[in-house]
Amino acid sequence: MEHYTNYSGLEASILGFCQLCRSHDLAIGLNHSEEALIAAQGGFISDSKSLKIALRSIFCTCEEEHSTFDRLFDIYWRKRRHEYMPKTRTRKQTKIVKETKGSVVLMGVGDHEEDEKKDARNVSGANKMESLRKTDFSKVAAIDHALLDELAEKLLLQLNHRLKRRLKASKEGKIDLRKTIRSNLSRGDTFIELLKKNRKFEKYRLIILLDVSGSMDKYSFYLLKFIWTLKSNFKNIEAFIFSTKLLRITEYMERVEIDQAMLQMNTNSDHWSSGTVIGKCLQEFNDQYAKKILNGRSITIILSDGLDTGEPELLSEELKKIRLRTSKVIWLNPLKGMEGYEPLAKGMKAALPNIHTFESAHNLESLMELEKYLSHV
Amino acid sequence: MLPEISQLIAKLDEHDYVVEEELATILLLMLKLNKPLLLEGPPGVGKTEAAHIIATYLKTDLIRLQCYEGLDVNSAVYEWNYQKQLLSIKLTENSELSPSEKESHIFGDEFLLKRPLLQAITATEKPPVLLIDEVDRADEEFEAFLLELLSAYQISIPEMGTIKATHKPIVLLTSNRTRELSDALKRRCLYHWVPYPEFQKELAIINKHLPDINRELATQLVKFVQYLRSLKLDKSPGIAESIDWAQGLIALGAESFSEEYINQSLGVVLKSDKDITSIKNQGINSILNEIEA
Repeated sequence: MEHYTNYSGLEASILGFCQLCRSHDLAIGLNHSEEALIAAQGGFISDSKSLKIALRSIFCTCEEEHSTFDRLFDIYWRKRRHEYMPKTRTRKQTKIVKETKGSVVLMGVGDHEEDEKKDARNVSGANKMESLRKTDFSKVAAIDHALLDELAEKLLLQLNHRLKRRLKASKEGKIDLRKTIRSNLSRGDTFIELLKKNRKFEKYRLIILLDVSGSMDKYSFYLLKFIWTLKSNFKNIEAFIFSTKLLRITEYMERVEIDQAMLQMNTNSDHWSSGTVIGKCLQEFNDQYAKKILNGRSITIILSDGLDTGEPELLSEELKKIRLRTSKVIWLNPLKGMEGYEPLAKGMKAALPNIHTFESAHNLESLMELEKYLSHV
Repeated sequence: MLPEISQLIAKLDEHDYVVEEELATILLLMLKLNKPLLLEGPPGVGKTEAAHIIATYLKTDLIRLQCYEGLDVNSAVYEWNYQKQLLSIKLTENSELSPSEKESHIFGDEFLLKRPLLQAITATEKPPVLLIDEVDRADEEFEAFLLELLSAYQISIPEMGTIKATHKPIVLLTSNRTRELSDALKRRCLYHWVPYPEFQKELAIINKHLPDINRELATQLVKFVQYLRSLKLDKSPGIAESIDWAQGLIALGAESFSEEYINQSLGVVLKSDKDITSIKNQGINSILNEIEA
């Protein structure tokens, strides 16, 4: 438990705080603990602001660490117990499952803020970063958003690196005997240089359709971030957002900064947080773009929760058209991450027969797992 | 606030230094722990000034080492006065001294040119304040050398042996963060990030430096400079620039903070052609209106 009242005496509480900071990746050596102790004994303990400034200058090695430190300090040295302290974990967790099950049905109806707060408390434990990876985007408490952003950037960058490495490795092919003999002719009978045969690199096109309707609100920002990561790997990428209308956002993606791009998208459309008519949007896509951009070497990814207010028949039909034009249709549904979720929504049910892969996309870890589909692209 | 800290602030105020609580706390901690302090922050926020502050407070010497790329031991630690040594050899050529005596003579104290780091270590009376300025500009090799100095406070000179510090100097390092310093160096230091000052502090500093300045003028000037910092300029103005600007406006005989005077003296506060044109294009009057709003 991370609170100074859990330790008896000045020394123990300072050392407890050092342990806490260490477990949150601040680089604190033995000498730092000792100095912290000297500082505290030297009078700094009597004023909490002075103690904060003093310990911060001892523990932090760059400005970026200040926010982590401040948060830990506030939790640990608070007069009363912090409201985000983990309490009885096990009982609450079973409760989440129940609540989330309920909220699938209730999605879009009623106010869930209270539940969200409750759930968020359960994830702020000791190993925050690890649990954030696995936390559903919609259940991240407001205080953790900055942390999640940071983590997302880090992980998505990793994904980016890995994808690049895989592409490079796949270029290594079999030894091309004919070319090898020919190029080594001048060296007598020893082969010094081995030439390799490569399978011709096939360029796939990636088409992404992101649902930004109200029910996807909590996810769309992170999914958009995910799309931004992909764009640096796939030169050939087309992205759309849809809710009641379809909007091509490929041109916005040339902008480097995602925030700027989002601002522009916002001003140019009233798509965000509105209703969902998936079928109509796919029809629009098929009419306007499909012929131009879909071919045998394209993969279509649809990011949506499948909660549709349009006609399921239309959705099914339009999706079938897409399937016939593209080599693979992947549907990523954030709701699939919830325990006990079944694609019962009529839109989702109609879509299922026409998609190749159905995966979840509700937290960072599930996004990272998409690597297995993307690396073969 | 601890009474010790408020005393420190009051005392520094007597010496015309404006120090906010955070910096004062850390300066006090530095003195208590006897540990080097690393100050990082954008240029012109008074990092170097902090060393002057602490030296004045302790009434001790300030020894300054300005780092630059290619800084080596010769200019940072010590150098033998080669010419003087040669001369001395010539002079003692015909004397009765044995070769080993001659050698120990020319490698004696009087032929040693002390550079800042050695000066700091051999100070006899009081522990001096050693300011290692812009350490990020020095090479990594030099940083490694500093590590040795900061942990053991001794310097070895092959001809003379190891020289230990008589008093542990009070060390301040500053960095503009043009590159990330090594973890090992950071571990040995307290760390403090110095941000741009807030409105009240900057106004107080200007009033301290220029007691005769028109209050109204100073207030508007600080507001203007703070506004400039909020823009994404090539070179954001620091406190030094605001003081210079205030001085410049007084020299121009400016009564009020008007467009005419600003136009004449914008070069004092903005040091890049691109910034000046972009501000002029934006229209100084419109900025004045905006900061008044």
